[in-house]
Amino acid sequence: MSDLSQVLERKATRRRWLLLTPALVILVFAASGPLLITLVYSFLTPGDYGGVVWTFSGEAWFNVVFQRDIFDETLGWSDAHLSIFWRSIKLSLMTTLACLIFGFPTAYFIATRPKKQRDFWMLLIIIPFWTNLLIRTFAVLELIRNEGTINTILLGIGVIDEPIQMLFTEFSIILGMFYVYLPLMVLPVYASLERLDFNLVEAGYDLYATRLRVLRRVILPLVKPGVIAGSILVFVPSLGAYVTPRVMGGGNQLMIGNLIELQFGQGRNWPLGAALSITLLAIVMVALLAYVRAAGNEEVRHG
Amino acid sequence: MRLLPRRASLSIGGWCVTTAISARNLRKTYPGQPPVHALGGIDLDILDNEFFTLLGPSGCGKTTILRLIAGFEHPTSGTLEMFGTSLLDAPPHKRQINTVFQNYALFPHMTVAQNIGFGLEMLGRPRAEINAAVEEMMALVQMTQMADRQTSQISGGQQQRVALARALAPKPKVLLLDEPLSALDFKLRKAMQLELKRLQTETGITFIFVTHDQEEALTMSDRIAVMSDGAIRQIGGPRDIYDHPSDRFVADFIGDTNFLSAETVSADGTTIRLSSGKEITVSGAPVQGKVSLAVRPEYARLTTEEAGLLSGTLGEVVYFGTDTHFHVALDDGTAFVLRQQNGPDVTVAFATGDRVGVHFPPATAQVLRD
Repeated sequence: MSDLSQVLERKATRRRWLLLTPALVILVFAASGPLLITLVYSFLTPGDYGGVVWTFSGEAWFNVVFQRDIFDETLGWSDAHLSIFWRSIKLSLMTTLACLIFGFPTAYFIATRPKKQRDFWMLLIIIPFWTNLLIRTFAVLELIRNEGTINTILLGIGVIDEPIQMLFTEFSIILGMFYVYLPLMVLPVYASLERLDFNLVEAGYDLYATRLRVLRRVILPLVKPGVIAGSILVFVPSLGAYVTPRVMGGGNQLMIGNLIELQFGQGRNWPLGAALSITLLAIVMVALLAYVRAAGNEEVRHG
Repeated sequence: MRLLPRRASLSIGGWCVTTAISARNLRKTYPGQPPVHALGGIDLDILDNEFFTLLGPSGCGKTTILRLIAGFEHPTSGTLEMFGTSLLDAPPHKRQINTVFQNYALFPHMTVAQNIGFGLEMLGRPRAEINAAVEEMMALVQMTQMADRQTSQISGGQQQRVALARALAPKPKVLLLDEPLSALDFKLRKAMQLELKRLQTETGITFIFVTHDQEEALTMSDRIAVMSDGAIRQIGGPRDIYDHPSDRFVADFIGDTNFLSAETVSADGTTIRLSSGKEITVSGAPVQGKVSLAVRPEYARLTTEEAGLLSGTLGEVVYFGTDTHFHVALDDGTAFVLRQQNGPDVTVAFATGDRVGVHFPPATAQVLRD
């Protein structure tokens, strides 16, 4: 009897592993493998024309945050890198915030539509996903460049005398990333809101809570998992964004992604590029841990 | 059992009765193809300090009335007042009315105590006052030990109590209860019925209770409004509604009823000829021509064929523990059910297939328009 159940249990376990195998193979060879190579490369010496020379060196990691003066070899912070790190984090946070501020009401609107209409509104949110990222980014660029739609109209009706410089600023990068990543916020928040029992909202109103307080005390705590998921989904790709800062920032507003690309391209410093990649990974992990922990604490405090 | 609704006796004593909720020509129509008329012009006065029940089958509009009073929905037309002040411009959070929801709608991210204190917190009361009120409410519904539990960790009956305590804590003028007992099992429901009645008496708050369960309505209410198809069919005390239903729908919906076809023979309508040819004198509303006669199963008894007002053949005899049901096929073809209380001295003198007579005191028969 127990033999039989053990055999069956073993069979079930084997079947579960079999189901996992394709995903495991992809993970090992397509994610862990390249990551390992990147890690190894970051401890090697750059080759003269790109690539790496197989000599151990900590130089790349040193160069991530420090630099030696070209003339007197004095040690100093690598201002260029640090400012790029800071800009990346700042712009990603602002993008996440913008997506939350605009995405939450959108998700709420869709979740409160009659069931039949929701699919239609979700479709409108998802449609931009069917278009290439580069094309979507250029569409925003067309809107805000000096000779673009907005400036042309404003000049035409005489509100301004000369075009407003919107392109190639931090604002334009945030706008681009906001537009590209907004669906990633709306989808998980909508999923949470759709499961929300709207009787609870009515109960809130019934117990003398104003609309704002119902939002803060009833709705937000209950859809927090969706908000956290959405924020992570927006923040992480924003931090490593490459195309959008390149197109919208015009090359003088670098983010980490662009810096890494530079090292593997014109910079011909693959080890530094690899070290920067690992650094980006570390920043993302620290940010996620901090965020999840903060969100978790909040939960405990609210009871 | 109280013979008269409490308010009626008070007004006899010369008391001035205050109206808590007053609705005039209240209508609610939901747009659509075709539009749904949920409420078709309701007039309703609910007295202060009253246990008032809206009773009716699902879709009769009773929950719509509740949602209009709570403020979750706006009437299409008509007026709605609370203690003489119009409610129509007040959003739900400005009305001194609280609701016990059908599925309780407890906040799952808060403890029992936090749920109960929520209303007072939103009213901006000081911490100490909130804590005292929460203590008091938890004692009232006997949930003191559960204060720090999550609402997901307590049973259905306990959730029900918490929902009640949460709605009572801000001391509303009117408490709305939307079928709050429907999710409980039989025994618990019985216990909660008494509990609700006790709470209403102790707090003195006007309770407006919505249910489709006629027994629940009869046991708890001071007055009942029976509804169907967005209209009120009859308003009255439990005994009034049960013994003197105003129409066939009410008679059919409240309790079990036998319907007999009959005909008025006297000019004043008080003498009625039954299908068996026998004539009885009734006190009901005089109606000329063909009428329906409603007879409660427990008011009729079996007798010999000759002695009965009606005669027929005894069909099934069903034993129910506390009582026995006799199914009689009357000679005119209608089915008639009698209910007889069981007891040590009660014997059944008839068996299936016997010719029997059915007798009932004429005064208990209710004449209804067809």
